[in-house]
Amino acid sequence: MPTITSENTTHPTLIFWIIVGWVGFLLVPWYGIEDGFFTFEWLSDGYPTDSDYAPGAFLIGQGKKLWLAPLLLPLIASLFALGRAKSDPLFAKILISAGVFGFCWLLMQGFSIGLRGWQFGWLEALFGPLNDRQFGMGYGAMFLASAFLFMFTQGIAARGAINGDVFVVSAISLVVTIVTVFVFFPIARLLIAAFITEEGKYSISIFADKFFDDRIWGIQCLTSGIKCGVAWNSLFLALLVGVITTVLGLTFALVVTRSRFKYKRNLRALTVLPIITPPFVIGLALILLFGQSGTVTVFFAELLGIQPTRWMYGLPGLLIAQTLAFTPIAFLVLIGVVEGVSPSMEEAAQTLRASKWEVFRTVSLPLMRPGLANAFLLGFIESMADFGNPLVLGGNYDVLSTDIFFAIVGAQYDQGRAAVLAMVLLTFTLGAFYAQRFWLGNKSYTSVSGKGDAGVHPMMPRRLAYPVYTIAAIWVSFTIVVYLMILAGSFVEIWGINNTITIKHYLTAFSINFEETGVRRWTGSAWGSFFTTLKIAAIAAPLTAALGLVTAYLLTRQDFRGKNAFEFGTMLSFAIPGTVIGVSYILAFNVPPIELTGTGIILVISFIFRNMPVGVRAGIASMSQLDKSLDEASLTLGANSWQTFRRVILPLLRPAILAALVYSFVRAMTAISAVIFLVSAEYNMATAYIIGRVENNDYGLAIAYSTTLIVVMLSAVGLLQFLVGRTKIGRRSSFGPTAV
Amino acid sequence: MAELTKNKKAASVTFENVTKIYGGDVRAVDNISLSIEPGKLVTLLGPSGCGKTTTLRMIAGLEMATEGKILIGDQDVSMLPATDRDVSMVFQSYALFPHMTVLENVSYGLKYSGFDKDETRSRALAGLDLVGLNGFDGRLPSELSGGQQQRVAVARALVLEPQVLLFDEPLSNLDAKLRRQVRQDIRDIQQNLGLTVVYVTHDQEEALAVSDRIIVMRNAAIAQEGTPRELYEAPVDRFVADFIGEANLIHCQIDSVSGETAEISIGKMKHTLRSRGMQPGPATVAVRPGRVALSSPATSNSVPAKILKSTFVGNHMEYVVDTGFGVIFAMSEAVETPFDTGQDVGLSFAKSGPVLLLAE
Amino acid sequence: MKNVSLLASSAVVALAASASVSFAEGKVTLYCSAQEDWCQLMARGFEEETGTKVNMTRKSSGETFAQIKAEASNPKGDVWWGGTGDPHLQAAEEGLTAAYVSPMRGELNDWAISQATSANDKTIGIYSGALGYGYNTELLAAAGLPEPQCWKDLLKPEFKGHVQMANPNSSGTAYTTLATIVQLFGEDEGFEFMKSLHANINQYTKSGSAPIKAAARGENTIGIVFMHDAVKQAVSGFPIKVVAPCEGTGFEIGSMSIIEGGRNPENAQAFYDWALTADVQSMALEVKAFQVPSNKGAETSPSAPDLASIKLIDYDFALYGSSAERKRLLQKWDEEVSILPQ
Repeated sequence: MPTITSENTTHPTLIFWIIVGWVGFLLVPWYGIEDGFFTFEWLSDGYPTDSDYAPGAFLIGQGKKLWLAPLLLPLIASLFALGRAKSDPLFAKILISAGVFGFCWLLMQGFSIGLRGWQFGWLEALFGPLNDRQFGMGYGAMFLASAFLFMFTQGIAARGAINGDVFVVSAISLVVTIVTVFVFFPIARLLIAAFITEEGKYSISIFADKFFDDRIWGIQCLTSGIKCGVAWNSLFLALLVGVITTVLGLTFALVVTRSRFKYKRNLRALTVLPIITPPFVIGLALILLFGQSGTVTVFFAELLGIQPTRWMYGLPGLLIAQTLAFTPIAFLVLIGVVEGVSPSMEEAAQTLRASKWEVFRTVSLPLMRPGLANAFLLGFIESMADFGNPLVLGGNYDVLSTDIFFAIVGAQYDQGRAAVLAMVLLTFTLGAFYAQRFWLGNKSYTSVSGKGDAGVHPMMPRRLAYPVYTIAAIWVSFTIVVYLMILAGSFVEIWGINNTITIKHYLTAFSINFEETGVRRWTGSAWGSFFTTLKIAAIAAPLTAALGLVTAYLLTRQDFRGKNAFEFGTMLSFAIPGTVIGVSYILAFNVPPIELTGTGIILVISFIFRNMPVGVRAGIASMSQLDKSLDEASLTLGANSWQTFRRVILPLLRPAILAALVYSFVRAMTAISAVIFLVSAEYNMATAYIIGRVENNDYGLAIAYSTTLIVVMLSAVGLLQFLVGRTKIGRRSSFGPTAV
Repeated sequence: MAELTKNKKAASVTFENVTKIYGGDVRAVDNISLSIEPGKLVTLLGPSGCGKTTTLRMIAGLEMATEGKILIGDQDVSMLPATDRDVSMVFQSYALFPHMTVLENVSYGLKYSGFDKDETRSRALAGLDLVGLNGFDGRLPSELSGGQQQRVAVARALVLEPQVLLFDEPLSNLDAKLRRQVRQDIRDIQQNLGLTVVYVTHDQEEALAVSDRIIVMRNAAIAQEGTPRELYEAPVDRFVADFIGEANLIHCQIDSVSGETAEISIGKMKHTLRSRGMQPGPATVAVRPGRVALSSPATSNSVPAKILKSTFVGNHMEYVVDTGFGVIFAMSEAVETPFDTGQDVGLSFAKSGPVLLLAE
Repeated sequence: MKNVSLLASSAVVALAASASVSFAEGKVTLYCSAQEDWCQLMARGFEEETGTKVNMTRKSSGETFAQIKAEASNPKGDVWWGGTGDPHLQAAEEGLTAAYVSPMRGELNDWAISQATSANDKTIGIYSGALGYGYNTELLAAAGLPEPQCWKDLLKPEFKGHVQMANPNSSGTAYTTLATIVQLFGEDEGFEFMKSLHANINQYTKSGSAPIKAAARGENTIGIVFMHDAVKQAVSGFPIKVVAPCEGTGFEIGSMSIIEGGRNPENAQAFYDWALTADVQSMALEVKAFQVPSNKGAETSPSAPDLASIKLIDYDFALYGSSAERKRLLQKWDEEVSILPQ
């Protein structure tokens, strides 16, 4: 039988974390290992005395890095908590103060002392020059930080926070800590960069100069031939794309749910394709179709007897490409909404003598409003954040996402301008996010009650059906043509110039040499980035799903102060475009205390936080369908929250887990905007490799690689579908996917 | 196979000035003190929103008291989460884990209590045996009827032999007939095993039937506490009188008080009853419909009255009667000799009929 | 949790696969600003020859410069190979790269060494290429346009909407163009030229060689680029004709630098020496890189533009490679040219 533990004086979890803390301090290297997080050469290379690999205690023992010494205090203090009962007020007091002091000291020393000694002038003024420096934190610091964090959580749990539940308190603190470190900190770093002058001073006027730049806000295009500001360009494009994708998404949703169309399944499958298509590919296909020498352009030019033009570069091309790419997302959001409108309401309206058209206009459409708003929001944000298409098709129509990129990588190298542009972009997306939340407020349009609804959705009214069918048919054939172009493009020598069928692009990318000795060599030029991508995606996906579901669990199942802020924090990265994330990660994680650039870890982390909101939403949606008494039953039966989460909730969340897994896997393989900043020599991603090929006019190879990725992702999704019985890639939460 | 034997751990439950506040200003439970003896079945009874479920959940550790102290046995558990309390609970919705078989459900708590595999299994089977679900161990909850699911939920809580066993409206999802049987089963098991049980319901009949003691709650506070009979026969106030069975509430005048007895007059009618510490002056008495006697007019110590409505409901008659002091609801077993609507009758109260309600 | 274990196992497979490649002792991180296949060739070639693992990232010279600058306080790269010389000079000027005198110097052309001396040995020339432009013969014919020969031909009104160049703010090539025009015509007339050219430009691309690639694809008629980039498109089978402008033209010196404070300085120097050898420079032909190699003994392609027959200006790398001048010219271009209506 369970023994009541409040008087218990052994705390296995606490002992564990205290040991972790001591190990971090005494045994493992304090600073980051230059060769990589997972290399262990240091074990045989001068450890533990070599100062590169030495644990904190050894450094202090050698009289170096003495600022680490105070960390010993909280570590020793924590020992006094052992042997005390949880209900002993001293237990909580010791752990809280040890945790807070240790964690804060760790942060302070990390931020105060960098590669060149003191990081801040006033510290140098205060203490005189420091003739020492330190690198990014490594295992030791990480162990110790976690130990302090969890000491703190056990302390406040013992005080009775969240019903004294250690798991929940720890989970909340962990999520808050990592969201702070990997979302808020980089964004703050970025915003600060907007205020830094070239001399490294802070200045408001430099920010104002950059912010009120005509290149951002100019509206001359209304009156003259001069280009308008990028902000307006982006906004205009995003609004258009939002509207068009919403209308098209609704069109498809209506065809699938309210018509006798026979090939609904195929239509659904077709809409999944753009989601798993790497960036640029659609853009390239469009060039081959609509470019100055594109098939369609040339055909019409000859027909009309005019010169083919570059009409597609700029707004038209961007519109077509983004609409192609983002309509499926609107569709996936809207299909649930259209299906969710209770048939009995429509039937009620019909019995009240409304015609089919009137029913649609006065009942069905208004009930779909939240879905329409969501679809629009997604289209808007995706378009704002899109990087690949503007890069290939933008022409002279500059948009924020690419301008951010070129502000950083361009010859001028203007971090401040990039930061300002990123702020503008962030303001737009967050603004849209909030406008939508504000508009929908707490209004509930949900008409699905869970009770059996015997009604049947009425067919579309005729005057709606014809235009809907026409648009859908045109769109479907267009999509098919685009994808056939893609497939064909990967099998010809040079599209449009030399149409000889060849598989040389695939050979270049993916050849394998079997040498006489039997050694296989992956000689194809794409293997490196391909394996890296698979590896990173496969590592990121389960972590993303796990973090998303734990967060969803906290949001749906636990009550705690600051829950709204917590939710906002976890959803924030949804509204942050990838380019902004990329830039801010570079700014934040290239220097100590957290040094991650050039590693695979930074890619994994960026994917986790980019895609987590979808896991959260999927988790919330499924979890709110689980009766809360299930958890409570488990708790009263003596299982703790962690056991409850693992044994009761997780098994009932398989669809949500699958959705989160598939989504984050696919996104990790197709993302480009953040990735382009974060790839490194060792960790090059497929999309970054492809962009290089596109830059090099090597469309064949780029398309061949992309086609391979599409096939790989389709098989991965198919495999998961087979394992679980039903694909959930289409299931999206109300907020849907994040931007590219 | 292990036998579930008399529970030696059954513990008392004590609340000392416990308050629960939600969201800063909603007082769900307001300064409650109560004490539940070991081995007794105590019911928390009250209308919805009265705080009874919150009280139960505070015993379970699913809610933490904002103020005050909760003791189970001699131990202060105020800060202890549900996991660490030796308490188990049967939920209104049963909360059976849909992805586990009946046996896995029943074994669930045992596994986290440190029993080895064999012991867990034999105890779980014994639990199922006790609730009469032999041979159902391999089924999934969705393959059971409502009553069976309910019994699985009971078995799952029982096998842990907790210090306190909690029931949150366990019968509300069952039909009337089954409800009567199951509540008797629960009572039998509780008495056989000597369990401390806290039982929440809003059904007064159920409460009267199963409880050793009943705690009636209203507006986050305790309205009255006592044995079923005490509550029925001596409600302290209008609320309790009305909530536990039906009662006619009649204004009266306390004419004189001498020690434990008081003389009252209701209209022209005089009555002697327990004074309950009241002083002479206006007061209210509660009279159960069954304690109202109807007779032919002008019987001694009766007042003239008129039948407004007469209804035959099978095993008894129900009358709505107009008297000089208001409209009275009465019940009579005399089905063979009913009064008719409009008939003049004499109305009197049984000796122990009227009960003085304490001043409100 | 089948799904997770599946993913986990695929991760293991991927790890194992990538691990099998890293057999070498020692490594060097190479930032490469030449074309992808050339970069690959260099990286794999050095790996095979020395057994040193090469971590190569390909980024344009502007991007690489930005990266080296961003990483200055904590360099991740060892050696920067390829890309136009200006950012290399700028990096040298800002102390981002380290001085090194290679034993291979004796085999190099003078222009390669003068690049080194002007930067206090912090960079060195590895190839050279002249600026010019290329046009798509088919599109030119279809539009009935005359064949351009000189810089000034590009200003003709009939070329409106037919000319493409990169944005000097984002591309070293385009900056070289700006600097060349300024040196060729003088600053005032040069900027007048840029303004007139601006009217004919259909797009300022972000990357330097994009204009000729677009021309090759038939998406543009004339692209102002380095001639070897244009030659490459012609050799690849696109209908491109390369033009060396009659007024004379500037040129770039593709350079190589060792990054200051890199983590593998010995390997960086080994790579540096190796990259200057004749054999290695001759390999450029395998990937259709038609620049003129700096090693006198290296082979050149008959398709490569012959620098001897082109009228080259005396390009002042020291002046126009300096940050201050660069910034001034770019700002002037931004303020006077780019804001004009097209």
